[in-house]
Amino acid sequence: MKLPESLFSRMFLAYLPFMVYPYGFFKAGVAALWIVGFLWGTVTFFWFTRRLFPGRSLKHAFFLWLIVWAQAVWTLTKLPPYWIVSVFFLTPVSFLDDAANPSHVRVFSKEVPRYFFERALAGVGFAGFVILLALVREIGEKRLGIQAFEQPAGLLLVIAVVAFLWKNQPYHMRSQRPPVPENLKLGRSKFP
Amino acid sequence: MYFLIITFGFLLAMRGARPAPLQRPGEGLGRIWSEATDFFLTTSLILALWALAMAFGKTQAGAREYAVAGLGIAAYLFSRYQKKTDTFFLSVLASVFMILSREPDLLWGIFLAWIVSSGIALFQTCFLGLRYKLLFSHVPTAMKGWPILCLLAGLISVVLRNLGSLVF
Repeated sequence: MKLPESLFSRMFLAYLPFMVYPYGFFKAGVAALWIVGFLWGTVTFFWFTRRLFPGRSLKHAFFLWLIVWAQAVWTLTKLPPYWIVSVFFLTPVSFLDDAANPSHVRVFSKEVPRYFFERALAGVGFAGFVILLALVREIGEKRLGIQAFEQPAGLLLVIAVVAFLWKNQPYHMRSQRPPVPENLKLGRSKFP
Repeated sequence: MYFLIITFGFLLAMRGARPAPLQRPGEGLGRIWSEATDFFLTTSLILALWALAMAFGKTQAGAREYAVAGLGIAAYLFSRYQKKTDTFFLSVLASVFMILSREPDLLWGIFLAWIVSSGIALFQTCFLGLRYKLLFSHVPTAMKGWPILCLLAGLISVVLRNLGSLVF
């Protein structure tokens, strides 16, 4: 299965504000897990309450929700509020689209697992991405003493490599090959 | 602070105001610097409001206790009033928070806001210029999109870092 391009975009854009945190491997992992947990909580909350916010008030409610939670987390743990930017970029774009209309979906329909699976995938992908880059930063900066990892350049170059590998996944390369001409296609096999 | 400039410069370049077509870099350049001016003015205004809240004994405790909520609501309202994007609002909030955690004095805070805004605009200008030049070069298909953009951002950040160390 080819992982979609949009998943990488969301993970990467969500990671950029996370880069501001001067955290080591462990703290970065904990912060990433908090972001993922909060994202899933937000998605679940707004899935069930979306119809209570008519029109554009949903967007205002969403940002107010983020600000209130940023304040609560700052008061309790002193975690600077950059994490809400990551949550914002992980949230599906259609959710904040003014033109999007919520459709009637029953709680026990097939749409629900699919919807939550996509959000779960984004969250797990983001956590994995953060942990991978925190590990690379830890090794590059502290073990190998590479100065580029003390600044964004090192991480951006690593992300460029990840993006290259993501874009050129083997399955994708196979699908980019030109199709076989009709005259060269094999017919149905006569043998079982 | 340097991390903030690079990361939010990149974010605003990709998801900030609707960019001008790459074929017309002059127009894009104008937009970048006008956005940077708005960014600086909005950040400075919020810093001034914060200094005002800190000036009075009655409001000081409340402002300190609900700093994130207060700054966030102010940034949101100012961004909405100017019809800015959500990324702009979040970038302003992050910048104000970082400036206040570094420098509580108003004048120095405004100076830092100017540095951040100029840094973001400089980053975006370099980024726009390089993207424009890429239009005339044969970038392999495998490198188009995020790989080349991240590579450019990384190279610009190296240059700005060295430039900054020369100046300051």
